[in-house]
Amino acid sequence: MNSIITLTLPSDLIFTRFASQTAEKAALLLLNSCDADTGNWQFTHAFELAVSEAFSNAVTYAEQHSTIQPVVITFIFEQQRLTVTIRDTNQEFSTETPAPDIDSYPERGYGLLLIRTLMDSVTCIRENNANILSMSKEV
Amino acid sequence: MIITETPEGCITIVALNGTLDASTAPELQKSPAINNASQTVVIDMEHVDFLDSSGLGSLIGTLRKKRNMSAETLLSCMNERISQVFEITNAHRLFHIFDDTSAAVDYATQLNSRK
Repeated sequence: MNSIITLTLPSDLIFTRFASQTAEKAALLLLNSCDADTGNWQFTHAFELAVSEAFSNAVTYAEQHSTIQPVVITFIFEQQRLTVTIRDTNQEFSTETPAPDIDSYPERGYGLLLIRTLMDSVTCIRENNANILSMSKEV
Repeated sequence: MIITETPEGCITIVALNGTLDASTAPELQKSPAINNASQTVVIDMEHVDFLDSSGLGSLIGTLRKKRNMSAETLLSCMNERISQVFEITNAHRLFHIFDDTSAAVDYATQLNSRK
């Protein structure tokens, strides 16, 4: 299956679950389309969790900097690979931030660690004053 | 998310039902048993269908608040998806985690009896 689906959501945390559940369904769709094991919860949960993290990060940073614009999520289906991009117009950020030190009981900062661990590849580029976070994983 | 509090002797079981993510995590912080920092709680996660880092952060915040008042936050009945979040972040090292709620309640009762 080679398809692209684009979803535009308001920059509001109330849509976090909608975004993450859509990602889970997209991953399940890919598993179905390539006759893979649809019980592969690690694959579907990876996208559910990664998109939850990326979407809530985008919304939270927009609220902090008063730059509330819609968040655009794109699902790119290629053979056995699913790529999800999250586009926001917040300030530039890096995906190279260090993992939090768990022994100091931090309440924040785990999102990128989870995304990097769960996905095969993660990139972030700055284009036309927008951040485009791209997360990809193969079945 | 639906939060149900059940007193069990000197501790409280806080049963969560639903999603614990960035949009719902603040609800947990409003729960009376969570807000009562000196009271040990067992958080029953059996019916939590999804948890992300915001949900994890709210649990760590609860743990920190309770420990500052010599109380505990115990977790029970996590499914494999939620366990994965704890393992990736190493948060499983911070909490006492039990397979079933009754075992967590027994442990919490023993802890309280030692005080």
